[in-house]
Amino acid sequence: MKRFIIISLMTAMTLPTLACGGGGTDNYYLFSPFVGNNFKSRVEKICNDNWKAYLGLTEEYFWFNADEVIKAAQQKGDALMVSYIQNLQKYLDCVDIEQRKQYEWNYPTKEDIDGQKRTLQAVRTYALGKTKSKLRSQHALLYMRCNMMLGQHQENVTYWEQTASQFIETVYKDMMKNIYAGALYKTGHEAEAGELFAEMDDEESLMTQFYKKRSYLAISQHYKQNPTSKALPWLLKDFVNNAQEAADAANGGGGGSVGKQFIRDINQQESWQMQQFCEMVVREGKTDCPVMWKSAKAWLEFLAGKEKEAAADILDAIKLDGTARMKDNAHVLMLYITAAQAKPGEAFDDYIADELAWLKGKQDEDGFFLDVENRLTSHVLVPHYRSNPVRLTAISRALYSTGSGFDLDTLNVGSTEKFLFYTNTPANNKLDKFLKAQLHENDTTLAELIGTKYMRLCQWDKAIKWLKDIPLSFYNNNFSREYRYYSVLRHYDVEPWMKRQWLNTDEAWEKNVQWWKHIKLDFCKEMQMMEGSLNLLKGKAYDQRCYNLATYYAQASIHGDCWWLLRDSKSCYDNVRVNEVDFDLKARELLQKAAMSSDPALKSKALFAMGYRELYGVVFFGEKNPNVWYDLVWDSEKGESVKKYNLSSPQYRAYQALYELTGDQPQEEYIRKCDEYEQFRKYYRQHR
Amino acid sequence: MEINKMIVKLSAIRTMMKRTAASIVLFSAAVANSTLYTLSSTLLLSCESQAPQTYNLETGNAVYYWRTDLRLDSVERAFLTQYQIKKFYCRYFDVVMSDDGTEPKPNATITFSDTLPDSIEIIPTVYITEDCMHKQYPDLAEKIVSRIIQMNETNDIRNVHEIQIDCDYTSKSRKTYYDFLREVRTQLSTVHCHLSTTIRLHQLSMEAPPVDYGALMIYNTGDPNKWEERNPILDMRDVAPYLKRLDKYPLPLAAAYPVFHWVRDIHGVRVEHTVEAEDILQVKQAMEKERPELRKAIITYHLDQENINRYKPETYEEIYHH
Repeated sequence: MKRFIIISLMTAMTLPTLACGGGGTDNYYLFSPFVGNNFKSRVEKICNDNWKAYLGLTEEYFWFNADEVIKAAQQKGDALMVSYIQNLQKYLDCVDIEQRKQYEWNYPTKEDIDGQKRTLQAVRTYALGKTKSKLRSQHALLYMRCNMMLGQHQENVTYWEQTASQFIETVYKDMMKNIYAGALYKTGHEAEAGELFAEMDDEESLMTQFYKKRSYLAISQHYKQNPTSKALPWLLKDFVNNAQEAADAANGGGGGSVGKQFIRDINQQESWQMQQFCEMVVREGKTDCPVMWKSAKAWLEFLAGKEKEAAADILDAIKLDGTARMKDNAHVLMLYITAAQAKPGEAFDDYIADELAWLKGKQDEDGFFLDVENRLTSHVLVPHYRSNPVRLTAISRALYSTGSGFDLDTLNVGSTEKFLFYTNTPANNKLDKFLKAQLHENDTTLAELIGTKYMRLCQWDKAIKWLKDIPLSFYNNNFSREYRYYSVLRHYDVEPWMKRQWLNTDEAWEKNVQWWKHIKLDFCKEMQMMEGSLNLLKGKAYDQRCYNLATYYAQASIHGDCWWLLRDSKSCYDNVRVNEVDFDLKARELLQKAAMSSDPALKSKALFAMGYRELYGVVFFGEKNPNVWYDLVWDSEKGESVKKYNLSSPQYRAYQALYELTGDQPQEEYIRKCDEYEQFRKYYRQHR
Repeated sequence: MEINKMIVKLSAIRTMMKRTAASIVLFSAAVANSTLYTLSSTLLLSCESQAPQTYNLETGNAVYYWRTDLRLDSVERAFLTQYQIKKFYCRYFDVVMSDDGTEPKPNATITFSDTLPDSIEIIPTVYITEDCMHKQYPDLAEKIVSRIIQMNETNDIRNVHEIQIDCDYTSKSRKTYYDFLREVRTQLSTVHCHLSTTIRLHQLSMEAPPVDYGALMIYNTGDPNKWEERNPILDMRDVAPYLKRLDKYPLPLAAAYPVFHWVRDIHGVRVEHTVEAEDILQVKQAMEKERPELRKAIITYHLDQENINRYKPETYEEIYHH
């Protein structure tokens, strides 16, 4: 039932504000001494399954709909269910009043609230009267819900202890127990409530109850009151994970907030105190899960930079008692702590191969082990194998990692070629055998990528060698409709400073354009021919070739219309990356040569082209670009942005030369209709 | 591809210490049908005074209250008495853009678990995120005013003569915000309520907003990224450039001083910002020298036991010295 959350303790509590929001995270928490089975999700799923069965549906049921259930019940002649749902709906309408108080414009009136109270009383009376019927659990739950909304918590305590606790085990009984826990909390029995919330894995209520009791001091006091409290694993997990968050933030990672709403900053001093306390708990022998406490100590030590102590403690931890999950968690931490300190070599390669196989085997049990793989790969294995690009590539491609920073697309072309070879040869050691079994590379994809990487390096002969055997079907089957639309309809021989090739992206999906010739290969061949014969040319022919080549380079640049030649996608924030030539710079150098031409028309076009802003990279408001003729800077006194002129910038100098060449009233239409040059002309006329 | 992958770079400048109160989803119930309230004679119950043509900002002490539950402990109640607090600027709710970004919605509405002494005037205050002012929402003013009035009526809050709107408007949103304030004022005129708004120091360079008076926020003056050089909550060097604008600012101004602290994690280092008492008093002195009227109406941000205990009573006495 979608709205069951009303039963949670959270209904009457609020928590302090978040420091910030937005953004994801990849610094997965490695301290996880119990399997999360969140109360809310668990109960919601069972309720939905119950409705699905009642309605005779075959598909998943997600949203409770009273009318739908009433109709089905009427068809079945189930009068009791009809009256139950009608009253449940009345109760849910009362819940809506609370919703309106918080988040809706129509804040409830006094009459609404009085009506809410009357309805709750009536539903409560009805429900109590049906607690001996066939649907006794549902009605008992409805009764307790009404009591909770009416603030009659003591009645719920009494009802649970004397009646509902005797009911058969159902999801409705679980929900009643949750209300009972909330009622205990409200009536001053916090310790008992905490135990029940922990037992039910009601994380939201636990966080509400313990929000200000999560420090080392509070946890140690809680332990002293009850060394085997069910809330302790939850509190310890919260503490250690917050310590990890602080440590990751210190190392430049972390910082995400999704799912980490309650981050508490834990400093080194508090972490140290907790380490000592964990040791004391293990020595004292009152806990039934020493492996958890010792593992926590080891992980806190590791996070604090005490790697040797951490390694010694985690080796001790795995010998101690605790649940199977706690022992697995200790195993995970041992793997991570050991791997992080390991020296490169075959012994480690063999060790990590076995451990990765173990980790993969565990991933069917729980998503936690996939998170471990992610963090281990990103933070330990990628740095460990950084000096071995092929192994690094295999690790990054075979294992799940979102934070390693490894990108096959920007790997240098030599290593990419070696990786392709690696994937096609048999393994001769345990680690490679494991990795190759995980890899699912496509040779054509890698070959196409290698060809493209040679294009990025302007090595046209090698690019042709790799691209010539890539079939057109590869592009038509593997590249998106948008990519094909742009690549077929945009032409790299169009001077971008004369004409922008705007397209309507909406048409990309409708038209489903196909490649009918190998455009990338054609581009490489044309470039090979044009550059190969460049130095054979003289005079105007040479100047014109430079201009033409500049056009091709400008188009193939990430800022050009034909960005698809070197990339498979584009963002307006993209710039030149590692392992590729700056095509904009190449274009500018060639235009510089063309601008030396004795042909005034070509000279004019080349100077005009050198004023094309896209040739100088992407700069956003507030950033400065010394290559363009002005920057926009914020003037806080004026409260507006103002232009700051860069008189020595290449763009300024190109426009200046163009002005000197064509005068204040240029004849050429392409110059006259350029608004950027028009701005320059007005400025230059006054300031020359 | 080209379009799909366009990503929006987040602004490097983040609003420091947004005054967004706790937001916990308590109910997942479907959105109730929205009913717009009309301003009727019953609303006069909650806004009673007659607005003069030129607003006369009265001398007196005030506090901001920025929690989500109006529940005061004995220390906070004693503070109200000890410093003769007359006005209680109480954050009623925030207005934020809905999750789908289509319209402004109320959020983190206060719960009234306690009442205030009759001698204290409550001023419903609404914090609006700046992005709600990126375009005009014609009925937003009416919705806000109606909601405040309904909250007063439902919770038996009387003696309300004014509301305050808080928004960190910029040159981009200023015009929309001022149009919105005019509409709020029109709505309030029906029930004879005054309107004030918060004014940040950087907003002193803009045209004055169309309200009865402004509450000058003399805090959050610095760049949070330069915390090692200057206290981001308050630093005289950041205030100084604005002093010359005070004298001629064409709107009555109350002065709001910071008594809060700000704890944050910067590269793993726990950094706690507080303002030394002498720094607050130095700024107060400098502000009042430029504009003596600022010593009439004084507000502290915000009422909380921790903040009360942070400073000696003598400090509060000096802050509230008229």
